[in-house]
Amino acid sequence: MLLGEIFELVQLVFVVAFTVFLANCVDYDILFANKLVNHTDSAKVTLPDAFLPVDVCSARIRDNVFVIFILVISGVFWLHRLVKFIYNICCYWEIRSFYINALKLSMADLPYFTWQEVQARIVEIQKEHQICIHKKELTELDIYHRILRFKNYMVAMINKSLLPIRSRLPFLGDVVFYTRGLKYNFELIFFWGPSSLFENEWSLKTEYKRGGSRLELADRLSSRILWIGIANLLLCPVILIWQILYAFFSYTEVIKREPGSLGARCWSLYGRFYLRHFNELDHELMSRLSKGYKASSKYMNCFMSPLLTVVAKNVVFFAGSILAVLIALTIYDEDVLAVEHVLTSITLLGVCITVCRSFIPDKHLVFCPEQLLKVILAHIHYMPDHWQGNAHRYETRDEFAQLFQYKAVFILEELLSPVITPFILIFCLRRKSLEIIDFFRNFTVEVVGVGDTCSFAQMDVRQHGHPAWMSAGRTEASIYQQAEDGKTELSLMHFAITNPRWQPPRESTTFISQLKEKVQREAACGQQGVLHENHILTSTQSESEPHSLIANLLAGPPPLGSLHLGRDASVSNHAVDVGLMEGTSALRSFSPLSGSQHLRGSFASTRLPRGDGAALVGGRAMAGSGADARTASSGSSAWEGQLNSMVLSEYASTEMSIHALYIHELHKQQSRGQLSRHTWHRRDSDESSEGAPDDNEGLRNFPRSNTFPCATTPHQEGAMLHNTGQRRYGGTTESVSGGLRSAPRLPRIPMGGWAEEAQAGRHHDPVPEEDELPPHIQKVT
Amino acid sequence: MNCRSEVLEVSVEGRQVDEAILALLHTILLHRSTGKFHYKKEGTYSIGTVGTQDIDCDFIDFTFVRVSSEELDRAIRKAVGEFKEALSNSGSDGMGQISLEFYQKKKSRWPFSDECIPWEVWSIKVNVVNLANEQERQICREKVGEKLGEKVINIVEVINRHEYLPKMPTQSEVDNVFDTSLKDVQPYLYKITYQITDSLGTSVSTTVRRLIKDTLAL
Repeated sequence: MLLGEIFELVQLVFVVAFTVFLANCVDYDILFANKLVNHTDSAKVTLPDAFLPVDVCSARIRDNVFVIFILVISGVFWLHRLVKFIYNICCYWEIRSFYINALKLSMADLPYFTWQEVQARIVEIQKEHQICIHKKELTELDIYHRILRFKNYMVAMINKSLLPIRSRLPFLGDVVFYTRGLKYNFELIFFWGPSSLFENEWSLKTEYKRGGSRLELADRLSSRILWIGIANLLLCPVILIWQILYAFFSYTEVIKREPGSLGARCWSLYGRFYLRHFNELDHELMSRLSKGYKASSKYMNCFMSPLLTVVAKNVVFFAGSILAVLIALTIYDEDVLAVEHVLTSITLLGVCITVCRSFIPDKHLVFCPEQLLKVILAHIHYMPDHWQGNAHRYETRDEFAQLFQYKAVFILEELLSPVITPFILIFCLRRKSLEIIDFFRNFTVEVVGVGDTCSFAQMDVRQHGHPAWMSAGRTEASIYQQAEDGKTELSLMHFAITNPRWQPPRESTTFISQLKEKVQREAACGQQGVLHENHILTSTQSESEPHSLIANLLAGPPPLGSLHLGRDASVSNHAVDVGLMEGTSALRSFSPLSGSQHLRGSFASTRLPRGDGAALVGGRAMAGSGADARTASSGSSAWEGQLNSMVLSEYASTEMSIHALYIHELHKQQSRGQLSRHTWHRRDSDESSEGAPDDNEGLRNFPRSNTFPCATTPHQEGAMLHNTGQRRYGGTTESVSGGLRSAPRLPRIPMGGWAEEAQAGRHHDPVPEEDELPPHIQKVT
Repeated sequence: MNCRSEVLEVSVEGRQVDEAILALLHTILLHRSTGKFHYKKEGTYSIGTVGTQDIDCDFIDFTFVRVSSEELDRAIRKAVGEFKEALSNSGSDGMGQISLEFYQKKKSRWPFSDECIPWEVWSIKVNVVNLANEQERQICREKVGEKLGEKVINIVEVINRHEYLPKMPTQSEVDNVFDTSLKDVQPYLYKITYQITDSLGTSVSTTVRRLIKDTLAL
């Protein structure tokens, strides 16, 4: 880490110096052999000949004001980085001594410890040393809150579509623009810049917590955003030059050596925030996304355009033939290389051929998008609703490309970022300052011993659960308070599974244990069904009855067989099923972290979730105690030998995948069940963008996920985005789209889930859309 | 951050400022002091006795208890006197805040000086009102007396909660936790600071300090 920073400083100096040198101190005429050089001893032109003498060089630099200006700015920036570096050294030293002295972990052992173990030690020393004086015991959630305080806010803001990162361009369609530069600016404005919303690292300023002066605060924020936008605009040329130079120096060599690497894909920054759970650390997120990388690349690659393929093949043919001739000539007599531009053409043709080859799909690729999407979902856990069942469509693929972009597109966006960021800040973000102030005021809670955190990060199902995502009847949240796409529920499950020793609050405990119970029950029934009917692997989703849900999920996509924990993935149904069953039974035995219950994959014992079993599992999951009266087996050494935290974390991720898939299935069923109610309701909405009934597929009619506008007909798209994209918070159309989602739910959940009338009283600041909803609902009902 | 913070608010007349603040500060210090430690040979120590005395206020109908240590009293009076001067010189609407901060010292290596890490901060927000006639002043005396009584009970409740206190130190570390400079009593290390706030709710020095800290953090 230190070494990395030192090298960054050196890189900065190098880039500046090298560029200045290239621009001013090189005589290009000599280099290009346009001018002859007199040599006494040999006829060769050497590199130092091309360098201008030092005095000429420095005179040129001194005369060039622009270069001086650039040098001054870079010098200031470099000094600033140096100061930060020194400050960081002190911090790192303190961290190091904390680890050695307090946690008793030597530096040599550190690479072998997992995060869970470090966390457990921190909780231990809190009991001993009271490092946090406000409460007696620190929980894992507190530790996560301290580390991820600001990141949780950003995840929540993107979840509620508060930040202006989506826009609709005329030719490119729906575009998401979220770069590192923009992210840096957002964090500067909200969290740690001068006069930001946060007073210090852990608490929001008190005036932002009260509703009294929100308009004045919004004006202040708006003017601050304006100043920062202008500063960005002024620094834009410098930053742009830096980005170009840096990209040039970094990537040219890669392009020359391996042009196909730019065609590789990576998870975009927006994708990482969209797919991130609340309270998920960086390394957990990256491991999850990396696991889904292969399936995602396969999914994106299996779409081919026949037209493009034919064109690419022909371009490859023609370019390849020219290249072949040039290479043959060169092999025959290497003086051909000395001819002007031969080497250039060889290189360019080579690059062209490699680029075209990437458009030609692999001959042996199988087109199975639905299953790939299922596997992807198992890893990334979040997916807009309208993708399910539509995996084969180009629109789905294009939307997925927003999450999983080409590296070339990533580089291009970073290059364009200095130019576009000021405009986004000045024109788009300022309009939202009032909403942002309201967001921070409504969704900040003060946790004892931790400070101010985002209330979404509490993962409270009652406060922020979404009725369509398993929290029906349990949530009291209005649309404004709900987290979209089931983020609350999924984050809660993820956190509970990755931190099995965490004691959640009571309602969350019941939620978690109920879910786990359901999953295990389904798994047992499903597997019985699977084995008895000799289910083929490629079962479709359409006939998913409730009790064969898990069967379909588990038996479905072949790559899901990798879920059975590293055993051999033999293709035969029986072996896979047995493996899967052992896998899930292994998961069941692992969720309470006891490992003393080993089911040995016998069928009879898969009938485990009787009432007491489930309760026991649930109870043990919460209590985390190792003692277990029902130790079925004598603890085979094979299992116990694997019981270290590395294996545990892998099991945890598999368990989470299964739970996530189950939650999505339930959500899909729930929303399908409300399909019939939509058609009659839709006629009542006047200007609703979803109003035009889509005759193509009934599946399109269920509620759109809030964070993903779907690529349907242009009219729908345009209307939807104009109305709800930028103004998803304010504006009356929220009532319409909100009403669309709420009314079907109302008959099913008469109380608890959707008491809008009661909710309207809660918001003391007038939120127009909420006030409009109650009459709307009543009219419909 | 690892610091408990309590806020007390009082609204008093000009003459009562001294005594009100003295009363509150002394009450807090009464519960945050011990007798002097006398170390014996084997590393054990005995704690000296501390006397208490009742002080009547002249301008308020109130009596409070404080440790009978002249030195401590002098130190507190001096700090309160400075605060009162600053308050009257400021010419603003008479709002100020005086903080009593208990801290622990942590020895640092050269070149950094010793760090003071607070573990409890009591902030007393003072609002000075001006009263017109004698009758109002009389009413004010009584009311402020009652209010102060409530505040004292508040303070005692908070202190009774048995929350974090620094661990009892060994002989070599006594100076990091206790103030051993006084002859007859040994309070926890404390510091009294004050700030006069202007109408915007921030003071100039804190803004400048924060600006410097922010640019460094950048």
